[in-house]
Amino acid sequence: MAVPRRTPLPVAVLAAIGAAFVALPLMALVVRAPWSTAGHELSSSGAWTALRLSIVVSACAAGLAVTFGLPLAWVLARSELPGRAVLRALVLLPLVLPPVVGGIGLLAALGRNGIAGRLLSAVGIQLPFTAAGAVVATTFVSMPLAVLAAEAGLRSLDVRLEHAAAAMGASRWYVFRRVTLPMLRPQLGAGLVLVWARALGEFGATITFAGNLAGRTQTLPLAVYQTRVTDPGGAVLISLLLVALSLIVLVALRERLFTR
Amino acid sequence: MRRLLALVAAAALLVPGCARSASAHDRALTVFAASSLTAAFTQIGKDFEAADPGVMVTFNFGPSDGLAASIQSEGTADVFASASGTWMDAVARSPGVSDRADFARNRLVIITPPNDPAKVTSIEDLANPGVKLVLAAAGVPVGDYAREALKSAGVLTPALANVVSNEEDDASVVAKIASGEADAGIVYASDVTEAVAPTVRAVQIPDAQNVIATYPIAVVSGGPQPDLARAFVAFVTGSEGRATLAKFGFLPPS
Repeated sequence: MAVPRRTPLPVAVLAAIGAAFVALPLMALVVRAPWSTAGHELSSSGAWTALRLSIVVSACAAGLAVTFGLPLAWVLARSELPGRAVLRALVLLPLVLPPVVGGIGLLAALGRNGIAGRLLSAVGIQLPFTAAGAVVATTFVSMPLAVLAAEAGLRSLDVRLEHAAAAMGASRWYVFRRVTLPMLRPQLGAGLVLVWARALGEFGATITFAGNLAGRTQTLPLAVYQTRVTDPGGAVLISLLLVALSLIVLVALRERLFTR
Repeated sequence: MRRLLALVAAAALLVPGCARSASAHDRALTVFAASSLTAAFTQIGKDFEAADPGVMVTFNFGPSDGLAASIQSEGTADVFASASGTWMDAVARSPGVSDRADFARNRLVIITPPNDPAKVTSIEDLANPGVKLVLAAAGVPVGDYAREALKSAGVLTPALANVVSNEEDDASVVAKIASGEADAGIVYASDVTEAVAPTVRAVQIPDAQNVIATYPIAVVSGGPQPDLARAFVAFVTGSEGRATLAKFGFLPPS
């Protein structure tokens, strides 16, 4: 445990500037919001439809990201696979790519004329312009966070506990389920929170790959973007809705999952 | 304390230092223009720069509605060229404009992928069940014009039911069709540029149902380069500008 110390003045000053930098735009949104007509604005701007869709899309994307991210993290942390460094760079790439690049790539891969999308459309599956497409785009962008969190967890884990369980005759699946997974819970929880928060805010890949249609692919960020000119007050309110939702996810899940 | 001052000073220097690198030119003209003008204005900008070395024209292309909003909130534009009078009127109210002139017109056209998956030969066909139609969003000029054209063809309601995406601007509609993701879109005739033409098939809309967009240009009041702005507006509305606009598929102003 670190001994609590007085915060050095330079640190405090720069930290205060940093915090104000983040807080100021959020406060400005609160100040600018047309509170007196908020209820009416939100229902007329289609915010509730977008909110529902955002929750469904981000939850599905977070689920998928963890489903595939955890095994990927296992391979990166535990396997002897040659070229793991390259694999890791590849898997983390969506984190630093502009999301619109991801959207164009997804179109080229999974669009109606995409290299794999042709096969999909041959069996009647279409992703662009569907909610499923929004989930795919969002998963693409947010999965690296799940991989990062799970890999960090796997690496920091005390393998002797797993060895001990195995030595006592537990099967590999039993060890994974009853020893590894419970020990990973804080990291997986942290990963899930980040993935979900990132998924809620996803814009570029979604509008590029899935398009923008209310009720089908128009998530909250897209709704903000579309209403910002025709209805600036409504856009501010939807933005606040998004801020509130992200805050709830970050705070609530943190309490539940980070701390054991 | 010295170190603190040094740190804060470094941070304070960082911000303008980073900002300055973005605009090094003394005579930099900022033009906000509708995204349908991208190809034509890029060429006109080069010609304008060639005519007066030392001038640099920076363009901000986007949907006219969005440009008008950012001019009103930020006021950094010298010139505004809009795809509709509505958004120019908005900028004229605040912060104000001068030297306003209509400089071009543009027809609407239907575009489909080259293999025409939904068999679209007329604007009425856009109402056929199952056609994946992409329009610019309502509020974006080309989106509003497209809805007007569908209305005068009597197919607005069934066609809107076919809309799979409301795009940010005409360029995004073209991208969705050129990639073959959607079956049909409505854009400006000028959007079917030489580069785009091989990737889409154009279906003409008869005059009776077509909507002709009129493009106004003006000097934005309070911009940093008013004289240069006036010169640019004169250049666009002059013979050289008109010739370039015609080359890129625009009609002359009425």
